[in-house]
Amino acid sequence: MNVILLRFGELYLKGHNRNYFESTLIKNIKSMLEGEEFKLEMTFGRYVISNYAQERQGKIIEKLKKVFGLYSLSPAVEVDAEVETIKSEVVKIDCKNKSFKVFVKRADKSFPISSMDFAKDLGELILDNNENSSVDLYNPQCEIHVDIRMNHKAYIFDKIIKCQGGLPLGCSGKGLLLLSGGIDSPVAGYLMAKRGMELEALHFHSYPYTSEQAKDKVVKLASLLTSYTGDIRLHVVSFTRVQEEIHKRCRPEFMITIMRRIMMRVAERICEKYNLGAIVTGESLGQVASQTMQSMTVTGSVVKEKPIFRPCIVMDKEDIIEISRDINTYDTSILPYEDCCTVFLPKNPVIKPTIKQAENEEQYIDVKSLVDECLEKEELIQIKREQ
Amino acid sequence: MIYLDNAATTKMFEGGADIYKKYACQSFFNPSAGYNKSIEIAKELDGVREHIKRRLGTTKGSIIFTSGATESNNLAIIGSKRNGKWEYVFSLGEHPSVYNVARFLESQGHIVHFVGLTKNGQVDYEVLRRVVNDKTRLISVMHVSNETGAVNDLVKIGEIRKERCPQALLHVDGVQAFCKLPFNIEDFNADLYTISAHKFHGPKGVGVLYVKNPSGLKNIVYGGGQEGGYRSGTENVPCIMAMKYAIENIDVEKNYQYVKGLKDCFIENIEKADGVSYLQTESPYILSLSFSGVNGETLMRALQDKDIYVGVGSACSTKKAGNRVLESMGMNIDEIKSHIRVSFSEELKLDEIRKACHEIIDTYYTILEKVK
Repeated sequence: MNVILLRFGELYLKGHNRNYFESTLIKNIKSMLEGEEFKLEMTFGRYVISNYAQERQGKIIEKLKKVFGLYSLSPAVEVDAEVETIKSEVVKIDCKNKSFKVFVKRADKSFPISSMDFAKDLGELILDNNENSSVDLYNPQCEIHVDIRMNHKAYIFDKIIKCQGGLPLGCSGKGLLLLSGGIDSPVAGYLMAKRGMELEALHFHSYPYTSEQAKDKVVKLASLLTSYTGDIRLHVVSFTRVQEEIHKRCRPEFMITIMRRIMMRVAERICEKYNLGAIVTGESLGQVASQTMQSMTVTGSVVKEKPIFRPCIVMDKEDIIEISRDINTYDTSILPYEDCCTVFLPKNPVIKPTIKQAENEEQYIDVKSLVDECLEKEELIQIKREQ
Repeated sequence: MIYLDNAATTKMFEGGADIYKKYACQSFFNPSAGYNKSIEIAKELDGVREHIKRRLGTTKGSIIFTSGATESNNLAIIGSKRNGKWEYVFSLGEHPSVYNVARFLESQGHIVHFVGLTKNGQVDYEVLRRVVNDKTRLISVMHVSNETGAVNDLVKIGEIRKERCPQALLHVDGVQAFCKLPFNIEDFNADLYTISAHKFHGPKGVGVLYVKNPSGLKNIVYGGGQEGGYRSGTENVPCIMAMKYAIENIDVEKNYQYVKGLKDCFIENIEKADGVSYLQTESPYILSLSFSGVNGETLMRALQDKDIYVGVGSACSTKKAGNRVLESMGMNIDEIKSHIRVSFSEELKLDEIRKACHEIIDTYYTILEKVK
């Protein structure tokens, strides 16, 4: 019978919480495979997926590769742990013109042949049945694994496919991702989700200075993220008046600093209102004026009770782009619609602001009522996972 | 609603929609089939061809039905291409469906010249005169600029051709001219002329390429050999007949005078407003305006909230500067960003023009106040 073996990464580290992590992982696997027919079994430290339609195997593997907490998987053949039965399966593996190595693991010590001896037997069998094949214990082109388990079953496979790793989604609470429409913020969301964080997203738009397409683009980005993060609730907040007010009353070089301080305040209020545990941004140290250490100190200082996570902080743009291509958000991110950060852009934004300077500028605007107004006009968009 | 983006597309005549339905649901026969009902349709199509030629002011040449101006322009240019030493000349003011074909020829190793525009939006005739020579195979110049309403002096271009490169073909993209300006194609002796139905109240998805001498043209799609082999594919009969209806129901001279009155009224109502400037061009159908200090796209979006619709031409954003046509006329980035295009139709009323001007100025100042 064809099955898929699943291995998990860090869960074994989690001591007493392991049950919680595992049950979350199982729930996530089931949710990811919604609509597929399959059986999921936990057998001796491993998950086995079976009883699915053979033609769905490729699709199921693709979906499982997006489940956080899974470290790797292998499509395998499950047979009774009998010497001849195992041999009859191993002989089917094509090793012609290749070097190979056989790995035998014997959890079931009642199996009559020792692991070493059985590996040797199987190696000979492969050599006899594959022209130009050779054994290479150090750098084989083909790895053949035979796993003999306590349930009296053996699993034979020759591929180990790497998965996402990380922690099961939901294990680390729920955060609010600031989603601008650029390249970095979806990557930040993905990275946090990989550490088990579920997400809601917050977008600021500035109609009529920005277009409806700019908002549609963010909906599309959130929707692309859902294939990793599950459903996302997107909070869309009109930022037009805030920007007009800052533009009118504050010094131009502080436009972005004050704007981002207000964004952070709105974000924290939304976190409180919807019981979200952290603010997540796509900032990367030094990338632009608003992402210097001083700027982040000043924008972060308005957030009093939530942590701000910036998973891209140490990353080069190229590395961020690489991830955005992997998670399929890049092509959408680079669509040329202006986001609210490009409106009222000063020629020389301050790069080393201080909290005191920012507070001085803010005397000229009514921060509280602007933040209140943002929350009053919040629009909610439910985005379901892309299948 | 006040719709001021008629250079983008026009509302189809209701009567044309009825005609469409008749040829879609009753007289739906394939003009290439052999029975009498089909032959009847084929004859009707031939009638449309003659009608269009008369409108162009000629009895010579052929009419090829296409899917629209983009296809007509592609067919005209690529279908005229020859191997060897030949050169191709285009204006920098051309629509992307010409300009990008020119870039394609360039990428294929052909010698392509681009002729810039003068400040008033017309082709720089002196440069054109210098660029063409005895190796020029094709000159492609639009009749009326879709961005500015500038009308190129095709008679002059025809003379330059006669004098400097009589062997060259002249292709004219007439999308913003046909059924809008009174003209006679024989005055400038174009070899190829492009028409699009939806710009004059016809349906979308149908266009025409007029070809003076079809034997010089090569087909670019292969198939059943319809349209004399120049454009295979079953003719879009309902659209062609609805296009004919539109042509029959447009009085070019009368509309020209009426729309000229609309444009004059618009200018009169807007020219005194501080910060507003416009480009004086010949076509009454198109007016290019600049609103100093305000992004044209922002103005366009703010106006849609008042149910007024204007065009911004090619999109330009802070990150991606660019409007090739306006740049070629020497406009700077700030002028280009603050540009909008207003385009008229004879269906507009003077009252609507006045109201639109009032709202546009009002909206402009409201935004300006916030962004300055």
